[in-house]
Amino acid sequence: MSAVQAVPTDDAGRPLFELPDELAIDTDVARRVISGFIRGQLEQAGFERLVLGLSGGIDSGLVAYLVAEAIGAENLLCILMPYRTSSPASRADAETIAADLGCRSELVEITAMVDGYFGADGGTGAGGDGVRDASALRRGNFMARMRMSVLYDRSVAFTGLVVGTGNKTESLIGYTTLFGDNACAFNPIGDLYKSQVRQLAAAIGVPKAVIAKAPSADLWPNQTDEGEGSFSYPLLDRILYWRIDRRRSTDELVGMGFERALVGRVEGLVARSEFKRQVPPIAKLGPRTAGVDYLYPRRRPGSARS
Amino acid sequence: MQPLRIALAQVAPRLGALDANLERHRGLIREARAGGAGLVVFPELGLTGYLLSDLAAEVAMRLDDPRLAALAAETAGELSAVVSFVEESSDHRLFIAAALMEDGEVRHVHRKVFLPTYGQFDERRFFAPGDIVRATPSRLGVGVGIAVCEDFWHLQTPQLLALDGAQILLNVSSSPGRDLAASNEVGLGTASSWRTLMRTYAQLTGSFVVFVNRVGVDESMTFWGGSEVIGPSGAPVFSAPFFDDDLYLVDVNLDEVRRERIALPLLRDERLELQARELGRIIAERAGLAVDTTAEPGAGPGLDVAPSRKRPTARDAAEAPEAPGEPIRLRSRRR
Repeated sequence: MSAVQAVPTDDAGRPLFELPDELAIDTDVARRVISGFIRGQLEQAGFERLVLGLSGGIDSGLVAYLVAEAIGAENLLCILMPYRTSSPASRADAETIAADLGCRSELVEITAMVDGYFGADGGTGAGGDGVRDASALRRGNFMARMRMSVLYDRSVAFTGLVVGTGNKTESLIGYTTLFGDNACAFNPIGDLYKSQVRQLAAAIGVPKAVIAKAPSADLWPNQTDEGEGSFSYPLLDRILYWRIDRRRSTDELVGMGFERALVGRVEGLVARSEFKRQVPPIAKLGPRTAGVDYLYPRRRPGSARS
Repeated sequence: MQPLRIALAQVAPRLGALDANLERHRGLIREARAGGAGLVVFPELGLTGYLLSDLAAEVAMRLDDPRLAALAAETAGELSAVVSFVEESSDHRLFIAAALMEDGEVRHVHRKVFLPTYGQFDERRFFAPGDIVRATPSRLGVGVGIAVCEDFWHLQTPQLLALDGAQILLNVSSSPGRDLAASNEVGLGTASSWRTLMRTYAQLTGSFVVFVNRVGVDESMTFWGGSEVIGPSGAPVFSAPFFDDDLYLVDVNLDEVRRERIALPLLRDERLELQARELGRIIAERAGLAVDTTAEPGAGPGLDVAPSRKRPTARDAAEAPEAPGEPIRLRSRRR
């Protein structure tokens, strides 16, 4: 069953991405597990269809292909949700993916929603004068949560669940918006590092242009993940893999050749974002409290939509 | 010639749906019988699903539950079946149980002894551990030893079962697959580990090993299937595909146990009295009831290692010329 494809190359024969040896996965097994996972989640919830936000990037692109493989493209609705400053190239990539898969896609521009709050063209929005000079971070988070609102609304109309598209790397370093891009019914790629997302994307046939371009949250023009964080994904992935999956200590990582300052910085990001990966705590007051000592599976007889 | 057709029910139970799972079991027992099987084996918690949490108490059955009796009735007339469920004892302990049903009744019950409560597992929170490992005679003409999943991650389980008379070791599992590293022999780290264990036990005990693992999904976990029958030489007789929900029929000849045990009499040569004696000593020493003759000087009661000894720290390891166990290529920096 072992299936290790060589890293694909661009037209000039250069590898499309760097895949550290220790991160290489068996993509056939991964596709099999993820397909069954997607079908299992839907079946237990009593749904047959899925909705996702398609940005034109590799993460949501990969999930679209995985969903199509698991339940058929006809059961997938992709929503493209650009803001007026979003990259036109991203939108074009998203349209290419939807056309390639033959799935439904809808365009919902979030510009009026976002500008309606922060204000635009010198005018005051619903958020009042105080938000007119809001930072890019606040605006970016707001956009992510507007997209979440659109997805959850459209999921009702489509009778589907919202499928998550966040990867393990961004989750671990907290490069996500709480209740924004990390909101979903379930996530099929949340245990795959960015390097593994690339490997799987190449194996399943995500367009090379989508795989090769610099990852970006596209919250402002020309933003790139690696530019904003000044790291490279393969290096970050390796540090996270050895530190978390393989339980190596900081000193052991330094002994393996990683820079101590960088390891320390990554550890700080992970620790500071722990709250984003967990359900918010409830003050324990009663005899039995959800998540503390009232522990049921999410889905059990009677919990599926009928 | 002692031919036996074994049916491996590599199924995906529905979590908490006892009635639906009972119905599926009934259907598969009939299918196995129609296919000429003499033994049909279902996975761990096949009647309830695995990740039950607080649901465990709600799907638990007493051994005299009429639903179990009805299922056992399906085996009337030359059929053996191993089914697994949550058993509630009369003193209200919940066990992960696997029952051997034969000729219409429950013949033997094994209660899972080792409950993994680490990593992704939390069994000890919801279940009581069984205290007994015993082989049982069966209508198949040979002794049968039943174990549940983690029971096989402890050497003593297969050894005790074989020494107690089992010639077929049955392990029923809900093993979640994990570790997709491309370097794994069969594409799944969990499967590689299990395969090593089962071949080793079969060879060291000169017994057939029958492994039935479920498929399907509970919450985050995906169960990988890959059920197997291993011959008493340690060679696989049959390996089911990963992840497929199906009933697999496998023919074995139980005479092979005799041939292997005579050719390679490892089980004959086990030194039970030596093991019991040394275990007795270790138990007394660990309890602080005897002087530990093999402990380092200065070690406290029940401990083998002295507190003062200088041990290498992680920092020492990092400063060593080569971090042990790591491929050398990892020492180079890559940006």
